[in-house]
Amino acid sequence: MKRVGVFICHCGTNIAHTVDCEKVAKTAAEFPHVVFSTDYKYMCSEPGQMVIKNAIKEHKLDRIVVASCSPRMHEPTFRKCMESAGLNPYLMEMANIREHCSWVHPDKEKGTEKAIDLVKMAVAKVVKNTPLTRSSIPIHKRALVIGGGIAGIQAALDIADAGYVVDIVEKEPSIGGRMAQVDKTFPTLDCSACILTPKMVDAAQHPNINLVTYSEIEKVEGYVGNFEVTIRHKARSVDVSKCTGCGTCWEKCPTKVASEFELGLGTRKAIYTPFPQAVPNKPVIDRDNCRYFKTGKCMVCQKLCPTGAVDYTQEDQLETIRYGAIVVATGFDLFDHSVYGEYGYGKYPDVITGLQFERLINASGPTAGKIKRPSDHKEPKTIVFIKCVGSRDEAKGKPYCSKTCCMYTAKHATLVKEKIKDSQAIVFYMDVRTPGKNYEEFYQRAVDEYGVQYVRGRVSKIYQKGDKLIVKGEDTLLGKQVEVEADMVVLATAMVARSDAGDLARKVGFSYDQHDFFTEAHPKLRPVETHTAGVYLAGACQGPKDIPDSVSQASAAAAKVCGLLSKNEMATEPIISAVNESICSGCGLCISICPYKAIDLKTITERVHGKMLERQVAAVNSGLCQGCGACTVACRSSALNLRGFTNEQILAEVDALCL
Amino acid sequence: MNQHTVKMRELARELLSSGQVSLVLGWEKGNLWYKSPPVFISRVEDVEKLIFDEFCHNNLAKYLMDLVHHSGKIAVFVKGCDSRAINRLLQDNQIKREKLYIIGVPCPGLKDPDDAVGKKQGAEVKNSAKCATCSYPNPVVYDALLWETVPVNTTKAPVEELIAKLDSMTPDERYAYWTEQFSRCIRCFACRNVCPACNCRECCFDQAEPDWLGKANNLSENQFMQMTRAMHVAGRCIECGECERVCPMNIPLMAINKKVARDIAELFGECAAGLDLEKRPPLGHFDLNDPEKFM
Repeated sequence: MKRVGVFICHCGTNIAHTVDCEKVAKTAAEFPHVVFSTDYKYMCSEPGQMVIKNAIKEHKLDRIVVASCSPRMHEPTFRKCMESAGLNPYLMEMANIREHCSWVHPDKEKGTEKAIDLVKMAVAKVVKNTPLTRSSIPIHKRALVIGGGIAGIQAALDIADAGYVVDIVEKEPSIGGRMAQVDKTFPTLDCSACILTPKMVDAAQHPNINLVTYSEIEKVEGYVGNFEVTIRHKARSVDVSKCTGCGTCWEKCPTKVASEFELGLGTRKAIYTPFPQAVPNKPVIDRDNCRYFKTGKCMVCQKLCPTGAVDYTQEDQLETIRYGAIVVATGFDLFDHSVYGEYGYGKYPDVITGLQFERLINASGPTAGKIKRPSDHKEPKTIVFIKCVGSRDEAKGKPYCSKTCCMYTAKHATLVKEKIKDSQAIVFYMDVRTPGKNYEEFYQRAVDEYGVQYVRGRVSKIYQKGDKLIVKGEDTLLGKQVEVEADMVVLATAMVARSDAGDLARKVGFSYDQHDFFTEAHPKLRPVETHTAGVYLAGACQGPKDIPDSVSQASAAAAKVCGLLSKNEMATEPIISAVNESICSGCGLCISICPYKAIDLKTITERVHGKMLERQVAAVNSGLCQGCGACTVACRSSALNLRGFTNEQILAEVDALCL
Repeated sequence: MNQHTVKMRELARELLSSGQVSLVLGWEKGNLWYKSPPVFISRVEDVEKLIFDEFCHNNLAKYLMDLVHHSGKIAVFVKGCDSRAINRLLQDNQIKREKLYIIGVPCPGLKDPDDAVGKKQGAEVKNSAKCATCSYPNPVVYDALLWETVPVNTTKAPVEELIAKLDSMTPDERYAYWTEQFSRCIRCFACRNVCPACNCRECCFDQAEPDWLGKANNLSENQFMQMTRAMHVAGRCIECGECERVCPMNIPLMAINKKVARDIAELFGECAAGLDLEKRPPLGHFDLNDPEKFM
């Protein structure tokens, strides 16, 4: 006879307002095997846990059900409570009567009925629970940072300073990321490059950091503490060990193409570094545009290279390295606002994005920091800024707020007034959002000291008239139409996830949201972890973020990595798949269905009619198995069973509910 | 004796007498003129039993499951449908290719033995229903092909009409139709036993803990059993039609199997089972490019 204890939590009024907790506890006392049942205001609190521990002792409980919030929230809490009461932590089941019940049902009577059902199911399940034990796996003390923007650099520096080797894999030829494209930073207006480049150099010179640029993640296998990552080193066509970065090659290269770094506002050569302060300062050959690769002739760079570093025969190389932890810091892209016909993007060269504007005001940009219109290189006098382009727009863009645009638009407008004294900056806005230290003051200064004009309303149309852009919109505060003759229009386009974000997430094996931003394990309490152990997030790949936020998240992720790498080994979840070899037919369907490559075939010997015969059966690697259960449903004869969620347990739940 | 039979015996004799194989799986003439059951031949003198005629229905591939521990090499005659069954078993890791000598027999289509009952030998007999739906009469895997390939039948099969009829029904009508069909099921499991895709060591229907399938013979358990069977072969069914042929209660099982196969093809692209050993069944592998975004 099992001795089950049931503990119903009120969660303050979170559960109690739509569930009659006392009634649930009374009803549960009558369920088979239940010998004790009670309710309490906060089960997770210290006194709440004492209620559980005392009951276990007093009533000689051998397993318990806690009906409270999602196991995502407090399963670890109650498992620890079980352990300290001397029971196996896996002889505890949670019934989620908050997220699955009280929060989604307004009717108390029906809510209570459902809570009783949920508890009944959990009791039926826990009766079939068996003690599970954790095992331990070694941790490989080396970290991988994917993405070499400011978040990646900061995370790598912090991890390296703690004494661990860390590799930054960056797909561009240089680290630096988006911050390298930015001119000044809000709210202090210090130059972006001046604060970024020292960090880039620090990263390059740090004895514990390896820069792996112009490379991409090909494949990720393994698990926390033991990731096997295959990195594709794209063919640079330049031998970095010989190259001194003297620049002769890109000075003499005859082919000019639009520069990605300058967002099409400037040009680069076919052999290039993306920007002058590039780290490493070693060029790559863009084979799609290089004259030699297109026609077989030219070879100017190879002839002129004083160290003989140019090597056209290089090929992509794959390298597999073992890591204990991974930080994903792949950054963001900008919303493609060509969907907005009213802003005429594509048609009008003088309607540009905020990031393009950063290049225009940047001293090392294509105009050497002079604000010039892309169309005729004249100095614009009236510049219109439009905020929320692609953000807060469910119809054509993204529903979320892009977070940084209010501040960088205030910065742009300020800089316009600073650089062109007789200019006018007009900002069309929906709201001005400035939560952040010194942010509101910065915005107020733009309005009060620099005379930036803020017009609340949306722009309905932009069209060209002569060499002017006519911006038509509504001032919703005055309730009248406005028309501005502008020389240039800057769109504050939303930050969006990188187009290949979903691919990377599936490759590494963690989840992402409907906008392809990577999902943190808990929005408040585990903001830099993913649901995949050993994989952490930093920067705008997790959601729109400015530089201070990205940097602090990067340091947070680094702290998590250091915490993990400081241990020699770690305990593994025992909720993994197990094979019943007597039933397994060795068909191998589970092998190809396993997303974690955790299953293999092994040969066993067994006695058949007096003869020893060999046959193959599935074998689960306990380090790789994540307990997703895909194999258990793929196996037709249920030879695979997920510990803690066995077929018997789940059927018991179904029977409890339906019979 | 037809030329096909002559060729079969010739090859079987050669394989057995040279010691290349120690067992030959084929068909022989049964007690009735319209029955050609399987025969297992290990002695050269017995090759005279072998025949090939319009009643060689049995898919011999499934018998290889009973012979996994046979010490020598086995020769097996396969029609187009049987050859896909061989691939099914190879892909499911149940048999070893190197232990087989596969003899392909392009199949012109067979006759319906049920229609021959009570008729005199040589009388006009209907074509077999399962052959009417056949798209692969020619073996897809073999070591020797006994005679020339036959043209593929392109006429619309009766089962297609049944599926179209079922598709046009309302869900309630369709439920009523299948309820009527499954109410006849006597749970003899002949459909499972004959199926080359049903190759588990222990079928879930036979398990006691957990008892997936109740032992009572009632409609609910029948429906559960038939739906489970259809799902367990989904994407793996090689459409040989043996299940429907052996069903003593004439339940149109191929209508379910073909419907599921067609749905899978619509969702995941053309993926007929048992044609390509390298191609994993669409419901049997994890793919990063899966159209579902939930992973």
